[in-house]
Amino acid sequence: MKISTFLENKQDKPLKKIIGKIGVALFWVLLWALAARWVDSPLVLPSPLKTLEGVIILAGDFEFFVSIGVTLLRVFGGVFISVLLGLVLGLAGGLNKPFYEIMNPFVSTIKSLPVVSVIILINLWIASGLVPLVVTFLICFPVTWTNVVQGVRATDKKLLEMAKIYDVEQTRIIRDIYVPSIKPYAVSALMNAIGLGWKVTVTAEVLANALPSIGMNLYYSKIYLETDLLFSWTLVIVICSLVIEKITLYVIGNSRKGDGQCQLS
Amino acid sequence: MSIIIKDLSKIYGEETIFEDFNLVFEKHKITGILGPSGAGKTTLLNLCSGLDQPDRGTIEGINFQSISYIFQEPRLLPWRTVRENLRFVFKEKAIKKPGSHEADIDAMLELVGLATVGDYFPQELSGGMRQRVSIARAFLYPSELLLMDEPFSSLDCSLKNRLIEDFSKIWEQDKRTVIFVSHNEDEIRRLADVILTFSDKPVQILKKERLSNNSKKM
Repeated sequence: MKISTFLENKQDKPLKKIIGKIGVALFWVLLWALAARWVDSPLVLPSPLKTLEGVIILAGDFEFFVSIGVTLLRVFGGVFISVLLGLVLGLAGGLNKPFYEIMNPFVSTIKSLPVVSVIILINLWIASGLVPLVVTFLICFPVTWTNVVQGVRATDKKLLEMAKIYDVEQTRIIRDIYVPSIKPYAVSALMNAIGLGWKVTVTAEVLANALPSIGMNLYYSKIYLETDLLFSWTLVIVICSLVIEKITLYVIGNSRKGDGQCQLS
Repeated sequence: MSIIIKDLSKIYGEETIFEDFNLVFEKHKITGILGPSGAGKTTLLNLCSGLDQPDRGTIEGINFQSISYIFQEPRLLPWRTVRENLRFVFKEKAIKKPGSHEADIDAMLELVGLATVGDYFPQELSGGMRQRVSIARAFLYPSELLLMDEPFSSLDCSLKNRLIEDFSKIWEQDKRTVIFVSHNEDEIRRLADVILTFSDKPVQILKKERLSNNSKKM
């Protein structure tokens, strides 16, 4: 009897959590609806219903999916290259001080540059369609590089001493000690890069007039004073961002199950 | 050939740990080193293992590619299983030959009583079991010299007794040269053939005692 009650309580918890989240979301939507009603001008603040209608109308057009697909490709392309290079060069920077000294000024400079400056500069040199991808890479790379360098430096020195005593080959030290040690840092860098990548890509699409893209659709909605469509595209961005974040967390969660992680013994 | 330490000096900042220090370790014997905490026992092991370098003097008779070390804590890779941790100290080429070291690993796991946990991760084992993996790793590695830095200090009494027995059993099979550091006289007396007592810094040998098999406290 007690066991069944315990199990029921355990099963209730996720349901309660979902209901709670829906409740919070409904509260904010209600607040938005009240504000729209109070403003009473769809040009200034369209209602949630009008925004949703806009998404449905947009989804009826094939161009809508092309724009989302191309923007997604730019986000993932930029993030993928930045994570890949961040891992390789971060590992090299963490292990080799002179290499770190060479890379550090470059990374620090990119970090301190305003995103808009980077976008305009890159737009001078390369085709508009590629600008968002390159800018996303440039903005995300310092995040992954810095995280990986930190991960290498935080590697347990005692494990490295053990490997040195047993005369373990350098390639295996990297594969079996450094790579697992930097994994949490790389995962956190990936999550940050995805979040940052979205914002940077859409901004770069607007400033570089990259077509087809979500960014340009946002821009056109603004210049044609279609505020409801502007809100609809923003809602699309938020939904895409949430879906990608959840998928990434799910993939990372699954890959972690096989790790045998991870208090140092 | 024995391990000969000649005119060794080591200074950390303002502190002189060794000054013109001389010592000979006999081959195929267990030499126990007793002394107060912070006296320089671990420093000596680090110098013998190549983890640290002397400021002056020489250490002869050590092949630095042929050393095992049982640390105070097990130092196992937390993301690798027990079996993978043992495989880690074999050369990559040797591992790629099918089945080459697997029989040795199985035999060693059997010897230290861990035959059933080869596929477990370190965090799934007790502290004593992890230390036994560390002992197994040290003996699996084909070394001429085994260094031990207080390997039993963090264990409770009954576990310590069992591990000391396990250690003696394994050591009897290949009798490699062992330098064993501890501040616990009982542990040293149960294992060592020769006991050296160190003074505080700068280190001097206060006493050297040779134990016969009968006088070991098993």
